[in-house]
Amino acid sequence: MAAPCRKIINQFVKRSLKCFEPRVIPCRWSNTVRNHTVEKHRHSPLSSTRELVNQQDSPSDVMVPREFRFVHPDFLPYPVWNRRDRVREKLEREDMLKRRAVIDIPEFYVGSIMAVTLADKNAPGKQNRFVGICIDRAGHGLYHYFVLRNAIDGQGVEIKYDMYNPLLLKIEVLKLEKRLDPQLYYLRDAPLEYSTFRLDMEPVSVLKGAQVPLNAIKVKMNPRPWCRRWERHNLKGVLPLDDYITEKMKKQKQHPQIEKPWEKHDLMLKARTSIDDREVDQIMTEVYKRKEKIQKEKFQKRGQEGKREVKKAQEVKK
Amino acid sequence: MNMFRFPVRNTPRKFKKSFGVGSGPAERIKKLQMLVTALIRNERLEAKESYCLETRGYVEQLIQIAIRNGDRHAETMEKADFWLLEKDLVHKLFKVLVPRYQNYSTACTDFHFLPKKVPGSGVQMGILELKGNPWPPVVPRQRDQGHLLTNVLLSSAKAEYRMEKKITPDLRNGDHDKLEQAANT
Repeated sequence: MAAPCRKIINQFVKRSLKCFEPRVIPCRWSNTVRNHTVEKHRHSPLSSTRELVNQQDSPSDVMVPREFRFVHPDFLPYPVWNRRDRVREKLEREDMLKRRAVIDIPEFYVGSIMAVTLADKNAPGKQNRFVGICIDRAGHGLYHYFVLRNAIDGQGVEIKYDMYNPLLLKIEVLKLEKRLDPQLYYLRDAPLEYSTFRLDMEPVSVLKGAQVPLNAIKVKMNPRPWCRRWERHNLKGVLPLDDYITEKMKKQKQHPQIEKPWEKHDLMLKARTSIDDREVDQIMTEVYKRKEKIQKEKFQKRGQEGKREVKKAQEVKK
Repeated sequence: MNMFRFPVRNTPRKFKKSFGVGSGPAERIKKLQMLVTALIRNERLEAKESYCLETRGYVEQLIQIAIRNGDRHAETMEKADFWLLEKDLVHKLFKVLVPRYQNYSTACTDFHFLPKKVPGSGVQMGILELKGNPWPPVVPRQRDQGHLLTNVLLSSAKAEYRMEKKITPDLRNGDHDKLEQAANT
C-alpha cells in the first residue's frame, strides 16, 4: 500500500510545484508574427494615418511632379476597398523599388513602341528580343504587366510580359508616344499594317522634359466578324464603324442596359471601385522619396567603387 | 484616407419597387436623388432603414467632394447639380454645409433605428440626419443631476458616513451593495 501512496503524493507535489514554474512561450511563434496581429493593422483605418505621423519631414516638403502618378501606374494598389491589404501593398512596393534599382524600367504608355529582352535558356544566345507596340498595361503592384503586339511573317503576335519578372533583362522604349484609347486590342481586327514594326527598328530620340507626343491616328477596321463588339466600346482611335454594323446592332447599342447612363453620376460606385486622390498622393510621395534615396545610395556606391579603382590603379603604377 | 467614415456594404442595395414593379437601377438613382435632396433640405429624414443607409453614402460623398474641391471645380458642380433637384440647395451645400463639416474627422451624418410598429407591416424604419442640425436631438440626453440640491446633500452625507466607518469602497467595481450592507449593519 505504501508504494502507490508515495506515487500519488509525488504527483501531487509535482503538480503543485508546476504552478510556481516560470511560463515559457512556445517556440513555434518565436520567429514569426502571428497572423491576427498583422490582421489588426491590415484593416485598421489608423494604419494609413500612422505613416504620416511617423514621417520625419511632412509630405509638403517634398514636391512630387504631377506626372509621376501617370508615369508609374504600377504603384497604385488594387482599388476595391474591401479586398485591400495595406501591409502586403507596402511590402510589394518595397520589392518593386528593389527590382527597379537593378533594372531600368523607362517611362512608357499604351501606344509606345517597345523592345523587351528576356532570358530564355532554349533560345540561341540564351536571350529573346521582341519588338512591338504596347496595346495594354494593367495589373496592380508587383503583378503589373504589359502586352506587346507585332506582326511577324504575316501573323499577329502578342506577348504579355510581367513587368517585375526577374527573367526580364532589358526594357527599351523605341518610340515614346500615346494613343487616343486606353487599350488597343482593336488592332486584332484591323489590317496588319497598323501593327507591323521592324525588329531592327532604331530608337527615336525625345527631348528631355518635352510633352509626350499623342499619335492621333484613326485606324480603319476590317469588316466583321470581330473578336469583340467594338461598336459598343466608344473607340476614339477608329474610323466610324457605321458601315460594318447592321441597323439592329445600332439600336442595341443605344439600349439603356448597354449604355448604363445611371452609372455616370454614381458617387458610391466610384468610391467603391477607385482609389482616393489623397491616398494616391500619399503613396506617390512615399515612392518618390524612397526612389530618390535609392538613387543617392546608388551614386554613392558608384563613387566609392570609382575611388577604389583609382587607388588600385595607383598601386599598380607604383 | 480612402476609408469610409461609416459602415458601408460591399454591394449596393437594389431598390426593388422604389417606383412600382419593374423599377431598376435608373429608378434607384432617381429615388436616391429625391432622398438626398430631402435630407439636404430638411437635415433630417425618416424612411426605410435600407433607403436611409443607402442615402447616407451618397450624401457623405457629395459633402466630401464639395469640401475637397470647392465650388470652382466643374466636375463637383456637375455632381451637385445632378444630385440636388432643387437648385437653391447647391448654395446651401457650398455656403452652409461645407464650412460646418470642414474640420470633422468623423461622418457628417447620423443614423438611428426606429421601433417597428405593432400591429403593422414589419418594415424597419430609421432616421437619417445631418450632424449639427437645428432640430431637438433624437436620442434624449440625460441631464447631469449631480448638482441638484438633494443629490449634493446625499453625496456629502455618504462621504461623512464613509469617514466615520473608515470604509474605502471601490466604486468602479460596483461596490454600492456592499456599502449599503455596511450601512444597514
